[in-house]
Amino acid sequence: MRFLPFESSRTFPLLLCVVTSFVFLDCKRQRASGDSETGKVVHLTYWPAPNPQEILLADSVVTMWNRMHPDIQVRMQPIPVSQSTEEVLLAAIAGKTTPDVCSNIWPGAMREYTQAEGLVGLDTFSDFDSIAGLRVPRDLLATFKAVNGHYYQMPWKTNPVMMFYNRGMLKAAGVETVPRTYSEYFAAAKKVTRDINNDGQVDVWMGERDIRPIWWQRLFDVYPFYIAASNGKTLFMGDDVAFENRDAENVFSFFQECYARGYFPRTFFQGGDPFLMGKKATDFAGPNRISVITRLAPELHYGVAPLPVPDDHRGPVYTSGDYKNIAIFSTTLHPKEAWEFVKFLVEAEHDLLLLQIANQIPVRGDLLTNRLFAAYFSQNPSMVKFAEQTVYTRGMDTVPDLKEIFDAISQDYEACAVYGRKSPAEAVRDAAARSRSIIEWNQ
Amino acid sequence: MIKSMMKMFFLFAGAVVFAYPFLWMIAGSLKPELEITNLWLWTSNASFHNFRQVLTKIPIGRAFVNSMFVSLSTTMSVVVFGSMVGYALARLNFHGKKILYTLILFTMMIPFQITMIPQYILMVKLGITDSYLSLIIPTMMSAFSIIVFRQFFLSLPQALIDAARIDGCSEVRILFKLIYPLSRSTIITVALLTFMATWNDVLWPLMVIRERSLMTMPQLVTIFVIGGEAEAQLGPQLAATTLLVARASSHPGVRVFPKILHRQHGFKRHKRITE
Amino acid sequence: MSQRGGFLKSTRRKERSGYWFVLPYVMFFLLFVAYPLVFSFVLIFHRWNIITPMEWIGLKNLSHLLSDPQFFRAMRNTFVFLFIHIPLEIVVALGFALLLNSKISFRGVFRALYFLPVVVSGVVVTILWQNLYSYDNGVLNTLFTRIGFPRIPWLIDSVFAMPSIAIMATWKNVGIYIVLFLVGLQNIPRDLYEAADLDGATGTKQFFHVTLPMLNPTIVLIVALSTIGGFSLFIEPYVLTGGGPMQSTMSGMLYIYNQAFYFGHMGYAATLGFVFAVIMLLVVVLQRKTIEAEAT
Repeated sequence: MRFLPFESSRTFPLLLCVVTSFVFLDCKRQRASGDSETGKVVHLTYWPAPNPQEILLADSVVTMWNRMHPDIQVRMQPIPVSQSTEEVLLAAIAGKTTPDVCSNIWPGAMREYTQAEGLVGLDTFSDFDSIAGLRVPRDLLATFKAVNGHYYQMPWKTNPVMMFYNRGMLKAAGVETVPRTYSEYFAAAKKVTRDINNDGQVDVWMGERDIRPIWWQRLFDVYPFYIAASNGKTLFMGDDVAFENRDAENVFSFFQECYARGYFPRTFFQGGDPFLMGKKATDFAGPNRISVITRLAPELHYGVAPLPVPDDHRGPVYTSGDYKNIAIFSTTLHPKEAWEFVKFLVEAEHDLLLLQIANQIPVRGDLLTNRLFAAYFSQNPSMVKFAEQTVYTRGMDTVPDLKEIFDAISQDYEACAVYGRKSPAEAVRDAAARSRSIIEWNQ
Repeated sequence: MIKSMMKMFFLFAGAVVFAYPFLWMIAGSLKPELEITNLWLWTSNASFHNFRQVLTKIPIGRAFVNSMFVSLSTTMSVVVFGSMVGYALARLNFHGKKILYTLILFTMMIPFQITMIPQYILMVKLGITDSYLSLIIPTMMSAFSIIVFRQFFLSLPQALIDAARIDGCSEVRILFKLIYPLSRSTIITVALLTFMATWNDVLWPLMVIRERSLMTMPQLVTIFVIGGEAEAQLGPQLAATTLLVARASSHPGVRVFPKILHRQHGFKRHKRITE
Repeated sequence: MSQRGGFLKSTRRKERSGYWFVLPYVMFFLLFVAYPLVFSFVLIFHRWNIITPMEWIGLKNLSHLLSDPQFFRAMRNTFVFLFIHIPLEIVVALGFALLLNSKISFRGVFRALYFLPVVVSGVVVTILWQNLYSYDNGVLNTLFTRIGFPRIPWLIDSVFAMPSIAIMATWKNVGIYIVLFLVGLQNIPRDLYEAADLDGATGTKQFFHVTLPMLNPTIVLIVALSTIGGFSLFIEPYVLTGGGPMQSTMSGMLYIYNQAFYFGHMGYAATLGFVFAVIMLLVVVLQRKTIEAEAT
């Protein structure tokens, strides 16, 4: 039974020393990488999003940069994987362990970052206006302005949420045209949702959503559908709740119907993505979905269309964009060099790489007119749909505690749509009331 | 006869209920995706495909080393410091002994809910989030182990210690040379309980560790399963959890621990305390 | 004389080494017990998201808590969990302990098997049960449809979800309670049963008049341990349900975690922690009083 390593009093202090030195060594190693100022070489840390495509993209852009700038070396380190990027960044700000540059900044969390003075004002650089103005249309750029009138983010990429549909499934069910309105969607759903293998259980559905009340899931259903139904309005006007209206009720009742009539299953799927497996005919997602489909289900024949809208809808169909932007953290010792790197990231050639590698849309006004992108779009016709959609795409409101508000909306959405315990009007009223009290409470 | 048959039947049914899910999981991790939901454990298409996928996607080997290092350091520290304080409380006289003992008993009643957030903030302020220190330091000592050791040391004959003192042994020597060999069962009980608790903890690592290469094994597996990395495929999820269990069932705890709990008086003693 | 001097020296030495022995713990106590306790108490009166300065808001956190429906929901969920978990666990554990407490073959093997889920981490158990509980193709529902039962909406119905989690928690922990009951059973003096035999008490009567009363301390311990466990329920709803359906599995710990780490309300989370802790201690004390009162 010799299993404790410290039978004698002499070995124990020795072991303790080994253990502590191991621990401290580890710390030192981490710190050293942050700011080694030996020599003239400047080191920058860059955090891209942790998905495989963006890591690949970041890797190639950083390699190019390092080759061209031997005196400014960038180290790429994907954002530590966690439930969401914002948690990691907030913890990093609190612990002062932020990188120099991060390209996965969610505009919805900007208020918290700027309040904590965690970011460098980009408009302090003299050429910000010309660079950003050249790339992004003025009115769109203005939506990324912080409440204090400064810019802390460089608009980078967006993933407009649209409707993917499985052509084979719609055809097999006898649906000839892609549904554009709620009633067309229901009509198609009635044909699509059925029991294929005759075991008494429905096995293919019109659509499906994760039924757990997780706040960010609403960025792929309630939020884009509301923007579509309201012709481009977001949830807030300034700092005031602005979604207590008919449009929001329409959206809630749309999803309520989907569940009530069984077009959406009220279950978790274990084992496999139901869209890739041909178990659901439609999916609401951004263009980054394309790379997943081509990798995991290359034989899937899909199409892309705008989101369904209420029957009396007029005009273009808007959606939400899930913008991700680039920011420089105020912990940086080399803001100038970091800004040079940011400018490098948003050059047109690298935007083309963003399209090619990650299937995500760069935020720029000349996507469909710049000759540089022409070849790409002619080869990827479904990406044209997304590029066209970007003009009618909205971002996030810049109110504080947006996550908590989405959580509140999630709870009422769940009660109303998934479980049918509240009427759409009640659910919208309750969600609005909860949102107001969250804002008031945090004042 | 019939009675004992019935007994065996129930015991066997219980064994199936407790063991089948694990067998199903292990079988599932070897099966191709479409066969997993099948109740039957056998498959003719078994492969290590899922394991390969897990091993290439997440640094689970590194996570194992992390978990091992953190749990062993914590366990060692809890045993050493627990026995030191336990010995002082049981066998040494000093001012404030009574107060200290009361404080330690009181500590045992403080739920984690209260201290969790300030402890996290403390880690942030000390600047040791994302390091092994943040996993080890807050659990370096435990009131529970002190109490267990104190109870056990009180039961040792005083004459033994007096004899050693007259021989001129230092207290440190008495504790580590003389008493340790006599307290194997207590040390093992404390060590196993501590090791198990540290190894299995997920909430605290989720709070303080964001750097992937420092994550503990259960934390990494949790994130792998609920984050998007498994790409909603069941096979890799089961493979990851199987790797986590493979370690646990080789744990001496499964065999030794119930026996110890059952037989050693050490446990009966601390049981009385927690009441 | 010299002996006396030596004795004094040794007491002094004992005293000094006493301080050295407890010094590390005292430091640890100040840093990781006393400081967090005080800090947590101070936080109750502040609004703080870690990254911006603390702001004094008096009793606002407490008044917010009293008007927070989610707090009461989490409270209720915890009690639903305990209400199912504790009796189930006691019955199952005692049953198996009684079976194991007799001369049978493979006793050690059974004991080890029942103990397996205890040693395995909660994450594994949760992931495993997610697949057992899956509505469409989970192991349990597949089994049920095979034998002609309807499917049960284990985790996707607000009535079933918490009981499902309670069953899972029972499965995970029952091993340790079986062992505790075994220890308790073996501590019952033989002669009590002999006396009962003389009085003509049969099996069932013996169980209710000898075994159960003698196991009372064990039951108190088990109830207290599982109550504390129930109040710390976290990883199960975190992985399985995210607190849904309709907040029916939102546990106190999960709510605190969300408030602190998703929404950045450290002050409010600390308040929740304090209130939950106080309620938990009250419940444990109350349970103990009731069980002991019933025994006498």
